[in-house]
Amino acid sequence: MAMEKTRLGDNSRVTTRELTLNMGPQHPATHGVLRLVLELDGETIVKCTPYVGYLHRGVEKHTEQLNYLQIIPHTDRLDYISSMANNIGYCVAVERLFGIKVPERAQYIRTIVAEVTRILSHLLWLGTHALDIGAMTVFLYCFREREKLQQLLERLCGARLTVSYTRIGGVKKDVDQQWLEDLYAFTEEFPMRIEQYETLIDKNRIWLKRTKGIGVITAEEAINMGLSGPVIRGSGVPYDVRKFMPYCVYDKVKWEVPTGKNGDIYDRYRVRMEEFRQSNSIIRQCIEQIPDGPIMADAPKFVLPPKDAVLTNMEQLIHHFVLITKGPMTAPEGEIYVATEVPKGELGFYIVSDGTGRPYRLRIRPPSFVHISALPRLCEGGLVADVIANIGSIDIVMGECDR
Amino acid sequence: MTTRELIKKILFIEIIKGLALTLKHFFSPAVTRQYPYKVKIEPPPGARALHALAKYETGKMKCVGCGLCSAICPTKCISIYTTEGEGHRKVVERYEIDTLRCVFCALCVEACPFGAIVLTPHFEYAGYDKGEFRYTKERLLDNWDRYMGPERGRDYFERFWVPKSRDFRGGG
Ligand code: SF4
Ligand code: SF4
Repeated sequence: MAMEKTRLGDNSRVTTRELTLNMGPQHPATHGVLRLVLELDGETIVKCTPYVGYLHRGVEKHTEQLNYLQIIPHTDRLDYISSMANNIGYCVAVERLFGIKVPERAQYIRTIVAEVTRILSHLLWLGTHALDIGAMTVFLYCFREREKLQQLLERLCGARLTVSYTRIGGVKKDVDQQWLEDLYAFTEEFPMRIEQYETLIDKNRIWLKRTKGIGVITAEEAINMGLSGPVIRGSGVPYDVRKFMPYCVYDKVKWEVPTGKNGDIYDRYRVRMEEFRQSNSIIRQCIEQIPDGPIMADAPKFVLPPKDAVLTNMEQLIHHFVLITKGPMTAPEGEIYVATEVPKGELGFYIVSDGTGRPYRLRIRPPSFVHISALPRLCEGGLVADVIANIGSIDIVMGECDR
Repeated sequence: MTTRELIKKILFIEIIKGLALTLKHFFSPAVTRQYPYKVKIEPPPGARALHALAKYETGKMKCVGCGLCSAICPTKCISIYTTEGEGHRKVVERYEIDTLRCVFCALCVEACPFGAIVLTPHFEYAGYDKGEFRYTKERLLDNWDRYMGPERGRDYFERFWVPKSRDFRGGG
């Protein structure tokens, strides 16, 4: 591997060797247990090989042993920063497979919490990405806002990170008026906060030097590699599952898909900053429009019966027992692939049902896994220091990549 | 580069703007909470932490040992052993939760038809010994008195024991 070569002309006695550098899996800036093997010529990267799988837990195999309800806590732990969005992705897939129609109010609640999660995830990304590149203050400011949203989530469902909030056919608990008002108050203040982050880094010359023209990926390459989310939008492709195949109520609110032009780290950063504003406006519109009504679908074959009926009605009690112990026994056979837009890109669930209460096969298409495959393309030819910036800019989470 | 841009570049305008912002924050009140030394964090009601087994007002345990909670538990951390008691009644002999394996999903609460198990907001239960995290029936009942009680328990069931029939009203 260490190929010897002469650089300073034939007569020179100075020879350089390519150096193989192992980065990770325990490295604070690889955002989890990602291992990269870099071959260096001086400071320049000749070859970059990512190794994944250090966080493999066998989620896909494990879910074959669990009924459809029990899988929800597992989806929390894929991309643990945006667990709400994963819950929704999974539930939307199962509902399409079963043909369940989710009530309007639940759809609105889902949209609100999905966008809250997008803000949360992008805040964490902005904070750590800036920290990697050398801006400490942004990190602290981002976590201040994150804390507010996390407390709101905790009030809503009792957990801050692993929420398990959606259920097949609806959501677990209704939102109350006070909660909506508090969230609305947050959205009023948040645009000012976004401006503060931008004051700190948007024009900062160090930030620009580290991000402009680095890690460029063209629109064509991005499409060929199957990238999605802010990464592909940074290259100028306006692909967003929320626009192309709307789920929840994304077709009932007004919003735009922000895109970049150059496909470098700076444009990906700009796209995410604009997404903050779009998400903020989606949340506001949803809170203004949210209708009254039930939060659970009327699908007695798949949804747990109401608690007060379980103790008074024999039929409901039997139903409850069967749903808990065996899962929905009348699940239709078939297969389905449903994609949703999580903060990091397109998250797909492919479910094969054989009519028992458990999925025969559940395959997850995580955006992070696909994005890591673009890392060699982004890093090769660049400098070692830019590897960190590149990893930050594609926003990966290993829990989702390795599953 | 225009003169304007040049002046901006020489005078470090964007850096000064950033510094002014941080300076302003320097004088605004801190948002950091000094946990655990100065403040105690009180999680909101319904926060999902340590389990408890509910009691009736009379002090009798609600759980009947039907086993639904352990059936739904995705990590299989609840173990229930029942025996036959007086008059052929089912008696819950042992009820144990291995909290180290629990993922605090609250599916057990959802599955229990009697509202016999709850997740209390008590989250500070660090220990030195693995055995301390194996909660037996007695300790779980004790948790109810300590962290829930009838008053908070009623509120918990009203708001977090799902689903209720009004959630289904009208259908979808
Ligand atoms: S909270 Fe979840 S993991 Fe914990 S005991 Fe209940 S069902 Fe099992
Ligand atoms: S806690 Fe509830 S679900 Fe579990 S055994 Fe007791 S009564 Fe049954």
